[in-house]
Amino acid sequence: MLFKPTEAHEQLRAEIREFAETNIKPYAFQWDRENYFPRKEVVEGLAARGWMGIPYPKEYGGAGLDVVSYAIAVEELSRVDGGSGVILSAHVSLGSWPIFAFGTEEQKQKYLVPLAKGEKIGAFGLTEPNAGSDAGGTETTAVLEGDHYVLNGEKIFITNGGEADTYVIFAVTTPGIGTKGISAFIVEKGWEGFTIGDHYDKLGIRSSATAQLLFDDVIVPKENLLGQEGQGFKIAMATLDGGRIGIASQALGIAQGAYESCKEYALDRIQFHKPIAFQQSISFKIADMAAQIRAARMLVYSAAEMKEAHEKYGMEAAMAKQFASDTAVKVTEEAIQIYGGNGYLKGMDVERMYRDAKITQIYEGTNEIMRVVISSYLLGKPPKQENTNLLAASGPTNITGPRKKLIYKKGSAQEKVDQVVANLKADGYDFTVGIPADTPITQAERVVSAGKGIGPKENMKLIEDLAAAAGAAIGSSRPVAETLQYVTIDRYVGMSGQKFRGNLYIACGISGAVQHLKGIIDASTIVAINKNANAPIFKNCDYGIVGDVNEILPLLTAALDTGEKKPAPPMVKIKRPTPKKEKPPYKIMVCDGCGYEYDPTIGDPMNDIAPGTPFDKLPEDWTCPMCAEPKDHFTES
Amino acid sequence: MHIVRKVTDDLYWIGANDHRLTLFENIHPIPEGVSYNAYVLLDEQTVLFDTVDWDACRQMMENLEYVLDGRDLDVVVVNHWEPDHAASLQAVLARYPNAKIVSTEKGFMICRQFGFRTEGHETVEVKEGDTMSFGTHTVTFLEAPMVHWPEPMVTLDLTNGALFSADAFGSFKALDGKLFNDEVNYEEGWIDSNRRYLVNIVGKYGPHIMKLLGKAAPVLDQVKFICPLHGLVWRNNFDYLLDKYQHWATYEPEEKGVLIVYASMYGNTEQVAQALALELVEKGMTNVQVRDVSNTHVSYLIADVFRYSHIVFASCTYNLGIFPPMHNFLLDMKALNVQNRTCAIVESGSWAIRSGDLIHDILDKEMKQMTILNERLSVASHLHESETEDLSILADSILDSMRE
Repeated sequence: MLFKPTEAHEQLRAEIREFAETNIKPYAFQWDRENYFPRKEVVEGLAARGWMGIPYPKEYGGAGLDVVSYAIAVEELSRVDGGSGVILSAHVSLGSWPIFAFGTEEQKQKYLVPLAKGEKIGAFGLTEPNAGSDAGGTETTAVLEGDHYVLNGEKIFITNGGEADTYVIFAVTTPGIGTKGISAFIVEKGWEGFTIGDHYDKLGIRSSATAQLLFDDVIVPKENLLGQEGQGFKIAMATLDGGRIGIASQALGIAQGAYESCKEYALDRIQFHKPIAFQQSISFKIADMAAQIRAARMLVYSAAEMKEAHEKYGMEAAMAKQFASDTAVKVTEEAIQIYGGNGYLKGMDVERMYRDAKITQIYEGTNEIMRVVISSYLLGKPPKQENTNLLAASGPTNITGPRKKLIYKKGSAQEKVDQVVANLKADGYDFTVGIPADTPITQAERVVSAGKGIGPKENMKLIEDLAAAAGAAIGSSRPVAETLQYVTIDRYVGMSGQKFRGNLYIACGISGAVQHLKGIIDASTIVAINKNANAPIFKNCDYGIVGDVNEILPLLTAALDTGEKKPAPPMVKIKRPTPKKEKPPYKIMVCDGCGYEYDPTIGDPMNDIAPGTPFDKLPEDWTCPMCAEPKDHFTES
Repeated sequence: MHIVRKVTDDLYWIGANDHRLTLFENIHPIPEGVSYNAYVLLDEQTVLFDTVDWDACRQMMENLEYVLDGRDLDVVVVNHWEPDHAASLQAVLARYPNAKIVSTEKGFMICRQFGFRTEGHETVEVKEGDTMSFGTHTVTFLEAPMVHWPEPMVTLDLTNGALFSADAFGSFKALDGKLFNDEVNYEEGWIDSNRRYLVNIVGKYGPHIMKLLGKAAPVLDQVKFICPLHGLVWRNNFDYLLDKYQHWATYEPEEKGVLIVYASMYGNTEQVAQALALELVEKGMTNVQVRDVSNTHVSYLIADVFRYSHIVFASCTYNLGIFPPMHNFLLDMKALNVQNRTCAIVESGSWAIRSGDLIHDILDKEMKQMTILNERLSVASHLHESETEDLSILADSILDSMRE
């Protein structure tokens, strides 16, 4: 046992390295700078060589190679460009694998074959604003209606998002029971109601695409349910186990690339009359890097081999991901240190690698979650904790706190605008007074804010006109200030930007990313205008109009326009209304024999049923504690 | 002497009116009386659908004998075994020894528990969906658990469309000669009695009413007469009635309006209630009902609660707690599953004012989806002129919460 890859593995490595050195390395800096997704250069190049489906059987269009071969492929791509590495990793491990492992023969023929051949790109949608490490917070829903499901919700931080053709999406089919109510679906790009939201402007891996996915009444045929209903969480966890080998390989490749680069530099750079590599402080760094990289490689290949051999590999994959990514961050950091001032400059590969490395500690399970996974394998389940608020706490949360959520969808644009304006006036807003449009956001009583949904720059005129009519200052979402640069950077509202603490916030074409919503928590009244009825902003607003900004804003401007505004008196904060108490997300069941109510937050102490047990998880022989009626004689409250 | 009305061909109402009973179920006042309805079908077999309370037994027996006109009674269908309907069964069986009894398994169990004697009579147990023919008329049975007892069923005559609906669609108030819904001005004379009956008797079991309505929906177009055990027979305008039931059973308010219930020992809290009512009306909300909890029977308050969207609880503090009649009202609301209302609280007292917190806790923790407005008015002994602003804020808050 020599603990090293086979000759065939090394042969493959040489081929992929050659491909990467020739087709990726020279352009990696430019792609990073331009946030460019190398579809032609990388995806099509890999596909042409049969590498987009390395670990899948030839009969499904794959290369029929093993998991170690796949790990080597990701490693070698990442060695020159971490972004290219994750394109392959997300495609193979996340987008394709669940279909390979859980798909029906029809699903495999329809979706896996083109994925493995590289004709299509795959992606995986689990993460949401309120469901990251804790998938139990998933809010995307899929409701069965006859022969199809109707999918609604939002996914964020999706690798290959927008570029991929085939998406494995996780959604709640049975609400209120946590992870056991989640199911997986295969969703195709281009289906009606499925749109790509924000493309993120990232610290690193900038040649990979990362986007937000929005689902608005997307019809998903029943046959695109992956596995069984309720199996989604299991599918997601099994997929992520394998995905961690991919991310570990990516981290390993980044570390390897940075190590090689700085070693070369250290041998070249002369100070005190000799290459700095031979200064003990530098030589020790290089020794540490090499040792850590070797250890990481052993962990990665070992986990890959275990997966290939169908052994349990979840813990080992987590160990590999955790260690390799920590190694990547350490090695790239030291690599810049060895480069000194040169390493701090744009265009130096170690600068990019340093930024690329960081994500590997975060995605596909943070390294904190890796430690949770590893320790749970080692220690088993913690002792049972009674939590009476289990179900109550699992309901969807509003980032901006309780809001009225009066959303106007139907009727003419004019009617919708009139209803909102009537509400605002009844709330006490006086539109005969106003503040200058350039009032600092933090001091503004009112703000009219533009999001990316505003469209081309000339549409900012609509915002300016509305701000004048509403007597408000002008604000924006982050992309509008930062990427589109329609307004100056001090106008953007959000957690990382300016916080709005005034009364009225009118969000135009803003979808409502978490970081934006956190900047308007203190607003007394939030008005949202967006054409996507599922945009998160609508769950976080008081009044909403579903409609096109081009149509709504001029009408709203006309409705609020009172000619010249009088200067506003000192701001009086408008009190937030009492939120309406809503139905809890879980079911209460009533006994047909006596009217006893089974409340899952209370359980049934008489029959030793713990609080937090949903009704359908009660034992089959459970009977009503009051009148002994059987379980199937209960009616939903 | 008989008092009988024909419902339709071969079907007769043979019930009785009762004005002498003060308290229905010995709890709910019925100043306008109540009717106990029983029905007879004259087919190849003669069929009695339910009987009446013991107090009305003699009248029903005279009616039955008159309608049968010498024929024997073949079948008694018992849809509901509560004694205000089943108590006279024994007298019927004694007079007609050949009658067989039709009911559900649970029905016969209740029958035995009450000790209603059925010895010597054939008993036929029926289940959901069973049918039974009496000659030209065929009936089918639907179980109606927890409307409002566990055992009732409803029986639909598939031939003439008569639905014997047990306590569902029943009402307080004696018929006094009328029988059909179109013989009265329902909105003026009956809906309040109907509401007070339904929500106080069956209010807790909204989900089960909805379940029964759901089951009945597919056969609804066959129903021509709704024949409940109390109140009028419906032969048209079903949508009106079903719409009301839909609201009550799903705990949706019937109308936007404010019910102000006050508990006042010396008139100070009453004054606040009156001032608030006036403020609301002046600000445009004229649908305001003011009730004194001490002298209004709780069944009327419960009926109001099911009707209006908003409730103001104005209560003095008593023994460091909620004024007992107000407390009783809240507990009755809870018992009847009242939910989905917007509430405001006015608390008063002369030293430690506690009633507001306690009312808040019952509404918030023990009932479902009760939204409690933040603007609570706290009155030390008497509301003074200087505090009118607080009253105005409370009224505004109520009005704000009505906007949609």
